[in-house]
Amino acid sequence: MRKIFLIMLITFSYSIFAQSVDFSGYVRNYPGMLVGNGSNDFVILQNTFNLNIEKSFDNSSFKVNPMIYHNYSDSLYFRLREAYIDLYFDNFDLRVGKQQIVWGKADGVFITDIVSPKDLFEFLLPEFDEIRIGVEGAKFNYYVGNNTFEIVWLPVFTPTKFAAPNSVWAVTPTFPITPTFDRSKLRVQSSLENSELFLKYSALTEYIDYEIMGGYMWDDDPTMFSSFVPDSAGSMNLVISPEHKRLSLVGGSFSTTLGPLVVRGESAFYFGKYFNTNNPTINQGVVQKDYIHYMVGTDFNLFDVNFSMQFIQKVIMDYEDIIVSNQLFNGEYSNMMTFLARYSMLNETLDLELFSYYDFEFDDALIRPRMLYDFSDTINLQFGANIFTGTEGMFGQYNKNDMIYGKIIYSF
Amino acid sequence: MKNLKILSITLIIFLFANTSIFSQSVTGLQVVENVYNRPVGEDMTADLTMTLINSSGKERVRTIKQFSRDFGEIEKKIMFFVKPADVKNTSFMTWGYDEEGKDDDQWIYLPALKKTKRISSDSKSDYFMGSDFTYDDLGDRHPTQDTHTILREEELNGEACYVVESIPKDEDYMYSKTITWIIKDKWIGLKKDFYDEDEDLLKTLTVEKYEDIKGFLIISHTEMKNVQKNHKTIMELKNIEINTGISKSKFTERIMTRGI
Repeated sequence: MRKIFLIMLITFSYSIFAQSVDFSGYVRNYPGMLVGNGSNDFVILQNTFNLNIEKSFDNSSFKVNPMIYHNYSDSLYFRLREAYIDLYFDNFDLRVGKQQIVWGKADGVFITDIVSPKDLFEFLLPEFDEIRIGVEGAKFNYYVGNNTFEIVWLPVFTPTKFAAPNSVWAVTPTFPITPTFDRSKLRVQSSLENSELFLKYSALTEYIDYEIMGGYMWDDDPTMFSSFVPDSAGSMNLVISPEHKRLSLVGGSFSTTLGPLVVRGESAFYFGKYFNTNNPTINQGVVQKDYIHYMVGTDFNLFDVNFSMQFIQKVIMDYEDIIVSNQLFNGEYSNMMTFLARYSMLNETLDLELFSYYDFEFDDALIRPRMLYDFSDTINLQFGANIFTGTEGMFGQYNKNDMIYGKIIYSF
Repeated sequence: MKNLKILSITLIIFLFANTSIFSQSVTGLQVVENVYNRPVGEDMTADLTMTLINSSGKERVRTIKQFSRDFGEIEKKIMFFVKPADVKNTSFMTWGYDEEGKDDDQWIYLPALKKTKRISSDSKSDYFMGSDFTYDDLGDRHPTQDTHTILREEELNGEACYVVESIPKDEDYMYSKTITWIIKDKWIGLKKDFYDEDEDLLKTLTVEKYEDIKGFLIISHTEMKNVQKNHKTIMELKNIEINTGISKSKFTERIMTRGI
């Protein structure tokens, strides 16, 4: 049996090579050391193998993209980021399988870019293609010139993946009393009625690029429903039942140039998101509200430095004071900005970069200086830091996680 | 991703059309206009290899597949990066307009981000992909942007040339002047010296090879040497095809994201 399997494997491998399948990817060594809590712990000692296997034919193609993470504890984490088949026709394309889908014009924030959920195993620190999780489904694109109509159907719901409980990036929700958890409703069964649907129309024109989109989906983040259940002694216990709820949105984005400026904007109106309240006895501790999430930003070059700035705001409609603040929503208005500066030197072999998130409400920030050096056409060296300021909020909660890190990336 | 913008990589910078001008009456402006207006075919496909060589002789190689087509008032170009590996499948598209004062539209597709981004065409003095060519060096600088004077006539590499000095009308332009050796009977710029703001020699462009393809003279091998940094870029075009009838659907976001 083993011999047969081996022969099949060799035959398959040979036939693959014979058809000139394209292999590309990278090998990366990535150590990261905490410096914020005085421990100097190497919280990241990671080796990564990223392989893109692709083949294109006249009217079709396929791509398989496995990634293997090897961590210092000798654990292996395997991800199949993408595995899909493309079929090309005169005016439309069809992509089926596991795929990453990226929408919108914002950088580093997720407003209409909500088809692929996030893997927050290291918060927002990995490259964005590593943060996004591939989704299982079908994507249909119909083209008229530079106009595109896109339909995405996902029969399987994929939620946000959070950091492991023992990770320095783990977030523990707080409750007025210690609860017990009932996770029986957490999983969304894969069925036709539970599938997700997204629509988008986009155009690329002389004057402006824009997208109009809508989605009927599941909230990637579970809502924490609360209830009080008596125990055998007659005491009332707080029981938290995390559950994903349906969420709908409409939105759009644009990008254009005004002289030397690139001006970008993106907005989405979310219908009926559940927010936790400060009273777990009423309506299972939740209230349903609509909210707006939008961004305006610009990119420009000044003194040979490329700058990018974005202002991002969330507004909860018909706001009530009973809504509990969290890292993503701090009251009726949540205001944030991002800043990027990048300078290339030595014939673009050395790049100096500064990227930052700043949250106005929590007065917290993530500051990410980084130096990138092309040692050769195949080897890139990076050295950087992740600095968290503030004491609360999305970034301030990690104020003990200041980190310096290095990366060696061999691309092939 | 590097500081990249789509641009003209046709290398057909110094070609000409009208051969009826006599040397006795020709002016500097006429010489450069004929270079500028030279017909180069309606569309072109080619493989571009760009070799960057630093002062210690270390080489870096970039490989690009490019397509361009003139649609009359709009010229569209699309480029796909093949090497190095970390920029593979990155693509650029540019739409250039004949309309005076109208900036090019440019987009970049970043495969890792799976995103097509509109970028500004404002920074023409930026260097392309770490090479010694600026975006403006590679584009079609209109003759009326400079004042042209024929300095002399002399032979270079066995070719009779006009030597033309071009001084920009915009005092803030990155070069104080350029001097170009233009072949008289072929109207090809065989050599060009670029002078910096202090009027010191900065770079020298030399044409190593040009070919006749379907009746069009196409420069297929150039070298740009930055004499101040001792850094050099070699550009070679291979597999050049002219007037193959590239479809207009080639110059769309669909093809940018799909690839070659």
